[in-house]
Amino acid sequence: MVNVEEIRDYAASLLEKEEVKAVLGFRRGSASAFAEPCTITEVGEAASLVWDPTCLNNLALYLVKDRKQQAVAKTPDNRPVGIVAKGCDSRAVGVLLQENFFKREDVVVIGVSCEGTGVVDSNKLSDKLKGKTASRITFSGADDINVSVYGDETETVIPAQEILADRCLECRAATPTLHDVVFGDTVEARDFNEPFHAAKEAESASEDERWATWEHHFDRCLRCFACRAVCPMCYCHECVVDSTTFVVTLGTSAEEKANRIRWCERSANTSESAVYHLTRAIHLAGRCIDCGECERVCPVNIPLRLLNTKLEKEAFEMFEYQAGHDIEQASLLSSFRDEDPNSFIR
Amino acid sequence: MEKILNQEKLREWVDMLDDCEVYAPAFADSVWNYARIEAGTDIDLSHTNTIGSVKEFVFPQREVFFRFEKKDGVPVLTSTLPDPKPTVVFGVRPCDGRGMPRNDTVFNKEFEDPYYWARRNKLTLVGLACNQPHSPNCFCQSVGGSPHSEDGLDILMTDLGDRFHVKGITVKGVEAMERGRDAFDAVRDGDQTEVEKVHDTSRSFPQRPLDNLDAIPKAIRESFDSPLWADMAQHCIGCGICTFLCPTCHCFDINDEVISPTTGEGERVRTWDNCQFPDFTMHTSGHNPRADLGSRLRQRVSHKFLYFVENHNTQQCTGCGRCITECPVGIDIVAVLERVSQ
Amino acid sequence: MSNPSKTTEVQSFEPRIVAFLCKWCSSAGSDLAGVSRIQYSANATPITIPCSGSVSPMYILSAFNKGADGVLISGCHPGDCHYMEGNYLARRKLYLVKELLQFIGLESERFRMSWVSAAEGAKFAEVVDEFVEDLRVLGPQNRLKAKP
Repeated sequence: MVNVEEIRDYAASLLEKEEVKAVLGFRRGSASAFAEPCTITEVGEAASLVWDPTCLNNLALYLVKDRKQQAVAKTPDNRPVGIVAKGCDSRAVGVLLQENFFKREDVVVIGVSCEGTGVVDSNKLSDKLKGKTASRITFSGADDINVSVYGDETETVIPAQEILADRCLECRAATPTLHDVVFGDTVEARDFNEPFHAAKEAESASEDERWATWEHHFDRCLRCFACRAVCPMCYCHECVVDSTTFVVTLGTSAEEKANRIRWCERSANTSESAVYHLTRAIHLAGRCIDCGECERVCPVNIPLRLLNTKLEKEAFEMFEYQAGHDIEQASLLSSFRDEDPNSFIR
Repeated sequence: MEKILNQEKLREWVDMLDDCEVYAPAFADSVWNYARIEAGTDIDLSHTNTIGSVKEFVFPQREVFFRFEKKDGVPVLTSTLPDPKPTVVFGVRPCDGRGMPRNDTVFNKEFEDPYYWARRNKLTLVGLACNQPHSPNCFCQSVGGSPHSEDGLDILMTDLGDRFHVKGITVKGVEAMERGRDAFDAVRDGDQTEVEKVHDTSRSFPQRPLDNLDAIPKAIRESFDSPLWADMAQHCIGCGICTFLCPTCHCFDINDEVISPTTGEGERVRTWDNCQFPDFTMHTSGHNPRADLGSRLRQRVSHKFLYFVENHNTQQCTGCGRCITECPVGIDIVAVLERVSQ
Repeated sequence: MSNPSKTTEVQSFEPRIVAFLCKWCSSAGSDLAGVSRIQYSANATPITIPCSGSVSPMYILSAFNKGADGVLISGCHPGDCHYMEGNYLARRKLYLVKELLQFIGLESERFRMSWVSAAEGAKFAEVVDEFVEDLRVLGPQNRLKAKP
């Protein structure tokens, strides 16, 4: 069992010794029963840190945000940042290091093992409660998660395995491999679901069924871009689907502006949303560390994680590549092997 | 017009609206949203609030303004003004209902938007009073509404357990009720008292308070340059969830979508836009007056609780709580207003 | 569709292929097919690119979005890349694109890759002919195409 006091003490000591300028962690918020991200800069604030299966966010996103902010700051503050990281979050730090987004000494990874569980999946919870809101979610420490339902204040006991996120059920590394300190018991594989279980299940449907599913989902997309905004790997300054990608100078004519390439229109219809989601999936190939944030934040619950895990499954099975496992390795798409699949090519 | 409708007669009433497109909330993909009701599909009004708001019926995410093409070198425009079938939406929560008159104001103030009104004039909103708040983030009463507000609705239904009390509010609403006359029973003694009791109870549940609503505009104005905004937006990811799901956010963008550059065929399209996106205020020069997330949060809150109040004497927020509940990082507009007011 | 005669429709359907051809090999291969007067289907619109490795997945998605019935990418045989390794990088990347397109349910025959050298005019003609035949069976691509 992870003792949250240890995390608090460690965060406080990092701040006290001025080894970091801030610690990224989780605290209880006013908006929901789930924890919210926080950035603490004072020793006293460390007491507000929490740790439980409601700590969903991948905080590596805020390492990226900080780097971007410092890059344009007049007086950049490049001191290291501490981050509370689950197994998946630490892999995100790994990919960012591999891509030289920042250096190893710029980040202090406070690893937390998910041990025998993981995080609660808000969609699965919503299914259980038929859309009602949970006002309190507590983990008994055994195999159950207790959920208080807002409105009637009854407590429902749900077996953890039924509402844990798919990625947690399929997780192969629940303990952060990349860390400066790690709290909780080291656990590698767990006996929930085989890796890539959900993607394999989706693959097994017929071609027409698969299209029917994805057409349904692409059609529902609102293009709020929350999936992109929440992804620590989507750090491009300008995304190809945004209209700002076109560089306008004083000499750019009206015709050039009108005829600029638009890979994808702003209309949120099936074809345009397909271009967006598939482009994003490919851009994350070999970089997605399966934190499931894209799927979690989607307001209409498009199972976006499947697109990414499908590609990670191919990367693993065909190219023996796992994103975020080795910060020294060449990235998936900048490397190749002679024995890469060739038979699909005429 | 006030009537009583037995729970099992709801379907009967809906079936009599057979020349209309009928929508009602349905639970699919782990979320409640409006879905088209076809003959034979069940109607389940046990919903919390829908993820999308009723604004989508009058202000769809994509609206084609006109089609264009080049014929013999001359541009030809074709009108695409919508002519929808009459549409009836069931299960509208009063907060969403209250959003509608606010949208009406926007799309009617200086210029009557024909696309909006073509849809709006054909739309009948059948509200369902909330017997209790669905979420700890409901705050309709704190912004002048109520769980049984009739504002913006054509009909208000109140769930009395085995039956609904149905009240026709507007001409459109009364007409829709008259269509289903045999399905309804007359209001009997005691029904009225029961409705009042349910309404009173619904108002008695605690909600997130907004103290001194009238002082908020001034507080926002005075904190324009405050570092508070950047602090409160520290974890904002800059997505569009809060505004796209909002029943009153109405900003849009207009683009020409060229289908064929050779024939010059295409459409002029209006799509939702969003003050949280970086390109919302991006100038052609590349300068962005709202370059950081703090200023964008400030804009969203100011539009709702300052500018709209100044222009239209009411908040552009109906307390549905979607932006709080659905925010991926827990940004809470009530908490934001509390901090700004301090 | 209320077309009375389905067969006529299939027969009269001319698939449109967007072919991204490496300028060092397949593009020259297609030229060779032309100058050798090899008869083959005229359904492919060639777009010459510097290297198969330079193909962005967006080109492929965009082609399907704009209504291509099939997309062909053709580069140099393994070991023959003018830039040493571009085709190896393309192979890996496009394998993933192919898998992704199949995963979302686009008909798997619609995306194809081939190695065609500058000397293989006949092979280029074969590849295009085969592709056209397969696409004729599938009919028009409507899944990813932008609907007006």
